[in-house]
Amino acid sequence: MSLALTLCLIAILGLAAIGTPVAYSIIVGSIVYLVAKGQDPAIAGEQMVSGLYDSFVLLAVPLFIVAANIMNAGAISERLLKFCVATVGRFKGGLGHVNVVSSLIFSGMSGSAVADAAGVGRIVIDMMRKSGHYSGGYAAALTAASATIGPVIPPSIPMVLFALVSNTSIGYLFLGGVMPGLVMGAVLMIMNVIHAYKHDMVQEEPVPLREIPRLTAQAFPALLMPAILLYGIYGGITTPTEAAAVAAAYALILAAVFYRTLTIKSFYNILVESARPSASVGLVIGGALVLNYIVASENIGVSISHALSGIHVSPLMFMFGVNILLLLLGCVLDASTIILVIIPLFIPSCRELGIDLIYFGVVTVVNTMIGMVTPPYGILLFVINATTGIPLKEIISEIWGFIAALVLALVLMILFPEITLWLPKLFGYSG
Amino acid sequence: MGAIFHWLRKGAEAISALMMFGLFATFLLQIYSRYVMDAPFGWTLELCLIFWLWMVFFGGAFIVRERDHIRFDILYMAVPRGPRRVMALISALAIAAAFLWSLEPTWGWIDFLKIKKSATLRVPMRDIYSIYAIFLVAVIAAQLWRIVTLFKHGVEDEASASTAGADQ
Amino acid sequence: AGKPVLRLSSPASETDQRAVALIEKFAPAIASFATFEPHWNATLFKQGTELEAISRGNLDMAITSAQELAVFFPEFSIFSAGYVHKDAAHQVKVFNDPLMEPMKKKVEDDLGVKLLTVMYLGRRQLNLRKSKAELTVKTPADLKGVTLRMPGTDAWQFLGKALGANPTPMAFTEIYTGLQTGAVDGQDNPLPTVVDAKFYEVTKQICLTSHLVDLNYLAISKKVFDALPADQQAALLKASNDAAEFGRQNQLKKEDDLIAFLKDKGLDVYEPDIKAFRDHVQKLFLSSEYAASWPKGMLDKINALAS
Ligand code: NA
Ligand code: NA
Repeated sequence: MSLALTLCLIAILGLAAIGTPVAYSIIVGSIVYLVAKGQDPAIAGEQMVSGLYDSFVLLAVPLFIVAANIMNAGAISERLLKFCVATVGRFKGGLGHVNVVSSLIFSGMSGSAVADAAGVGRIVIDMMRKSGHYSGGYAAALTAASATIGPVIPPSIPMVLFALVSNTSIGYLFLGGVMPGLVMGAVLMIMNVIHAYKHDMVQEEPVPLREIPRLTAQAFPALLMPAILLYGIYGGITTPTEAAAVAAAYALILAAVFYRTLTIKSFYNILVESARPSASVGLVIGGALVLNYIVASENIGVSISHALSGIHVSPLMFMFGVNILLLLLGCVLDASTIILVIIPLFIPSCRELGIDLIYFGVVTVVNTMIGMVTPPYGILLFVINATTGIPLKEIISEIWGFIAALVLALVLMILFPEITLWLPKLFGYSG
Repeated sequence: MGAIFHWLRKGAEAISALMMFGLFATFLLQIYSRYVMDAPFGWTLELCLIFWLWMVFFGGAFIVRERDHIRFDILYMAVPRGPRRVMALISALAIAAAFLWSLEPTWGWIDFLKIKKSATLRVPMRDIYSIYAIFLVAVIAAQLWRIVTLFKHGVEDEASASTAGADQ
Repeated sequence: AGKPVLRLSSPASETDQRAVALIEKFAPAIASFATFEPHWNATLFKQGTELEAISRGNLDMAITSAQELAVFFPEFSIFSAGYVHKDAAHQVKVFNDPLMEPMKKKVEDDLGVKLLTVMYLGRRQLNLRKSKAELTVKTPADLKGVTLRMPGTDAWQFLGKALGANPTPMAFTEIYTGLQTGAVDGQDNPLPTVVDAKFYEVTKQICLTSHLVDLNYLAISKKVFDALPADQQAALLKASNDAAEFGRQNQLKKEDDLIAFLKDKGLDVYEPDIKAFRDHVQKLFLSSEYAASWPKGMLDKINALAS
């Protein structure tokens, strides 16, 4: 490792540790590197600006954020929840299932786990607490765990970021996430059933069956959204990036025309509150682009690949090694930072070992999503703590079981690549 | 002074909202031209990218608040006010110094691009990329201002900052 | 000081003919006096930013295109127009002819970039979803209403229009799905790309329009080049030409072999009325804003060099 790189890493880690925004820490560290190398300090800005401007796929990021915010503001989430209560709420552990199923449906419309937790998640936590059968900690932990499904089932901002760094097809990555997302939903529902029987929970008063058609009709336009998105992408009408804009437009029409819950004022607020995270995520993406220049300049990815080929690692060992590392990093790092900065380091090795990049991408995205609920740094825990006031300590004490379940799902995905690749192959993916 | 800052921020928010709307609307127009008119516009894509670039750096400079940033502040929030003030000072000094160091060469690069025109709208790339220079200057000014307030008043009472706008 | 390190950044992959030629022929030939350090897959600099990186002293070498040079020097758009070069040999002749000197000099003076040699990228052909029975392309009129994916810049889109099609931009990684689902009706690329990206799985015909005999230039920082002693400069130039020739022969052979391969995969491969295409495309280009930037008489001189 060169002296310049050492100084760069010290600067980045040191600054990030004392609370400097991640984007700024990376930019400062990169400038330190360039100066120490005797290179042009303008390269930092050059890589950020030309990288952000170059990449068409990144346009999906602000568009998915707008789409999610419109859905949260426009009563779409509430209608969906009522529908879920009527259908799956009648079983043992009912509201817990409502929690997971609503996340599954919502994930088909939204590309962001934070939006899921803060939107539909916040409402379902209230319902669970009011029912008196669930502790705040359990409701919050289940919500956090099920929100991780959001970006696994398409659409997905993290998969857009993976496509950016790996040059793989967003369409196939999206398809690859469908089955793993359902597997994650299934293991969480199993956990919930176990919890319900262990606490011998009473069943909720079921919604009368005659109510179901009306509730379904009300939720129907919202339920149509995942179908429209998937048909758009795989029926050849839109590209995945365009699907993001279509999703936002559809949500806008639903909220403004169909449900009549959107005013000009609230639309303006949605735009401002979408521009803010778009900018802060954009800055982190920009920072990661500079870091990727340094990684390339120092030939780090190739060195890792050579080192691995020297010690004859099997693809499966490699997958487990990388995933353990990512889970550990997920405890302290933000998911977009991991996807943009750490994961590209292993892509040359994947090529060398013949590991399919769609499989690798989906598995590692699932991994980084689990990282969003692992303490101490789990952004979903913080978001739910901030929006509901449930103490972090209570959430964390309930989250471990769900983390174990999600890690089990991850292991299944690693061992059986077909879980990921079956659907893409059905649509013509040939590896 | 406070009132001026308040209205400047409101203005910046309005501009960001307009950029967001511009991006959204231009993208829909592109879809319309491709699938409905069956005669895709060439310029919509470039305009979207310009909106996106400007939204990131204009937003980064003027509407992203300290707590909107993606940051790792467990240590920062855990220590007493004294060390916290030192951390904040180091942070602000490092950002201001590094950004200042890169400012002149970065402007040299941006200005150099006046001879390069964008692919479809034929705008000099210097004009498109100049938002990054504005971003640098604004961040340097904000960090210097922060250093001054840190010396005068110490760390402000920040609410738990971890609920950042980190949107996944 | 040790040997100079020549850092090259390119969006090409490591298995691309150009990359193979540089790794196998260029690098060993200059190894006695310089270290060649290539960075593939655009990991160092984004596609299209390499020239300014060289110009600012941040990069030593790049594989650039006429389209990228035309961003700075509009006269280079002549080489991105359809039916200008006849074949690979014609490209070499044009590049080495005195008519290129003023253009090369301008790139050196204004950007500090020296063009070392011309590399052959292949003949771009139409690759369509429909079979020949459903759509036989003889003249540009047959492409009316056909949505053709072309790279995103204006010059490319214009070429698509000049061919008679409805050009539309789309990221390269999305083309396969786009073809499969019918989001686009076709795409254009040299045959090796059609095979590498497996487009033949989702298309039914190749129409051998050869509408663009595509080229790249191997480029180096003029400052770096001028700092070398004369004998090393000569050796570096020879190494560039040898590598380009090696890549050219490989690519030509591959293009020939792949016609049989594609036919074997069940695709219809046939030639349209080339003259009808050439006349239509050249006429549209000559009356476009692009031709306004071409040096006077350049096209005639280029045509005269076609043997
Ligand atoms: Na999703
Ligand atoms: Na949930």
